[in-house]
Amino acid sequence: MFEILLLVGCAVLGAMVVFFYQREAKARADLVQAQADLEKLSASQAQVIHTTKLASLGQMIAGVAHEMNTPIGFVKSNVEVVSELLGEYKQVLDKCIAAFDTIHNLDLARPEAQAAVKRVLPKLRAALAGDTRLGDSRELLKDSVDGLVQISNLVKNLKGFARVDSDGMDLMDLNDCVESALTIAAHQLRDRIEVRKELGQLPKIRGVASQVNQVLLNLITNASQAMGDSGSLTLSSRRNGGQVEVEVTDTGSGIPEEVLPKIFDPFFTTKPVGEGTGLGLSIVHKIVTAHGGTIKVRSAPKKGSSFLVSFPIDHALLKQQV
Amino acid sequence: MTSERIRVLCIDDEARILRALKALFRDHEVYTTTDPQEAIRWASAHDVDVVVCDQRMPKMQGIEVLREIRIAHPRAMRVLLTGYADLNAVIGSVNEGEVFRYVNKPWDNTELRHIVHLAARLSREAPVVADGPVSDAEKEQARQHVGVLVIEDDPDTQQRLREILQSHYQVRFATTAEKALQVLEQQEVGVIISETALQHGDLTDLLKTLKRYHPHIATVVVTDRANAQVAIDLINEGQVFRLLLKPVRMGSCRLSVDAAVGRYWQLKQNPKAARRFVVAPKPEAQLPSWLSGGLLQRIKQLPERLGWRSRAG
Repeated sequence: MFEILLLVGCAVLGAMVVFFYQREAKARADLVQAQADLEKLSASQAQVIHTTKLASLGQMIAGVAHEMNTPIGFVKSNVEVVSELLGEYKQVLDKCIAAFDTIHNLDLARPEAQAAVKRVLPKLRAALAGDTRLGDSRELLKDSVDGLVQISNLVKNLKGFARVDSDGMDLMDLNDCVESALTIAAHQLRDRIEVRKELGQLPKIRGVASQVNQVLLNLITNASQAMGDSGSLTLSSRRNGGQVEVEVTDTGSGIPEEVLPKIFDPFFTTKPVGEGTGLGLSIVHKIVTAHGGTIKVRSAPKKGSSFLVSFPIDHALLKQQV
Repeated sequence: MTSERIRVLCIDDEARILRALKALFRDHEVYTTTDPQEAIRWASAHDVDVVVCDQRMPKMQGIEVLREIRIAHPRAMRVLLTGYADLNAVIGSVNEGEVFRYVNKPWDNTELRHIVHLAARLSREAPVVADGPVSDAEKEQARQHVGVLVIEDDPDTQQRLREILQSHYQVRFATTAEKALQVLEQQEVGVIISETALQHGDLTDLLKTLKRYHPHIATVVVTDRANAQVAIDLINEGQVFRLLLKPVRMGSCRLSVDAAVGRYWQLKQNPKAARRFVVAPKPEAQLPSWLSGGLLQRIKQLPERLGWRSRAG
């Protein structure tokens, strides 16, 4: 009897050992799996962040490229046309010079020669004075210079978004960042959004200009997308005690109250799948806090939203500047 | 062309573009304006031959201006000149503007001059086909004569098009370029409905080549492979009649095919008008090898087999 009991006990014990061993193995396998999943997830998050950056970079480049097509279009055309006009004008000049040479070789003592010169000179004068090619060329070149200034401004502002030449903190005027972001965003605002600027005099702050540009571009882009076919975008800046502030206000669709607390969370988005990654504002938030600043939002559905970004003024710096 | 100077109307919200165009076309009579409404009035008031219009403008989009001018002054050929190749603008310029060429900024001076010169010549020499509705009797006649060829290998789209079109038109289906050509050889086809590509590969070169040698056939492209550059090339090199995005919608599909059959029927009565739809041809050397061989010869030989010239009398 006892032997049977012992046997059963052993069997039960054995079964339990096997059972726990298996459970433990499974738990370990689950853990490994979970770890792998987690790694995969964070890898795919990194992938999404990277893709988002590339996508917004691509959008920005496409926007600026489009923006350049118009000035490049007329500058290129004008330069070619001016070259043609000068070529034509050269032919007129050559004819006049040939006529002068003929006159020079005439025996002006002879009355027929005098008569001929009298006849020809007004014609030569008229040919030179009446030619509009030089005047036209000058106008076309004036437009071209304008166009080149426009193109170089775009390039300069674009460089402000991809500062490879400075990795540290720059001294910057927040208003310059506003202008820069507006130039880059011009193509998405044009024909649709009225832009108002109320920029006050600001002391300089220390920060990474390319990142602050990105913050403003992001807020402007969001505002532009919230406004649909028309609206008005106000950019205002001011000094407020030890802070400089910039405010981006739109007359767009607004943000629902229940959504408002989540807008700076990574991967939170209200856009349809495939249209937004939900990273824009979280990156904005990250950049602002890394600069010791704050970002606040006010919004009323169907009336619009307003983002207020504040950066501390470096007091040591302030003394230097004042 | 008559000895009269070419009259060109240019519309852009950027005055510097207008001055550049005025200088570029200095041998022609050039009217320039930044005001779309003025442009629409001027087109017929000055009886212009060619309209060159920007797309993105604050008061009115270029395709709307061109659509209005097409109604007010259909004789003028329309060219869209734009720095923005966005798909909606390209589709609009086909379906609403029926543009002759879609030119990107920055443009090439020689090319733009050539386009305007050619457009002006066609505008004066080739008659305009009426845009208005065809009579019911004619519609019926067209339905009996004119075949609609669908080139598509997606079974769902085929089925959908069959539902929409079969009871109204003589529809034939082809799933390859070879089969499409067989249909074209067998019967009179006035309208081709086609994807831009099949699983086997690209179709746009086939559509462009067909249009090049048979400008009276109207092409309706129905695609989910939407891409602005492909669409622009289909305008310039293929004079595509309508461009629709999938999924196929009953209303727009019927309207487009009706209009396409109407267009073919009018060109059949008035073959000289087909010159207005001349394409900017790709050199034959650039055609893919599957097309440049026997298929190309067969395409070139099609009109005689169709006999549309003799019937059009």
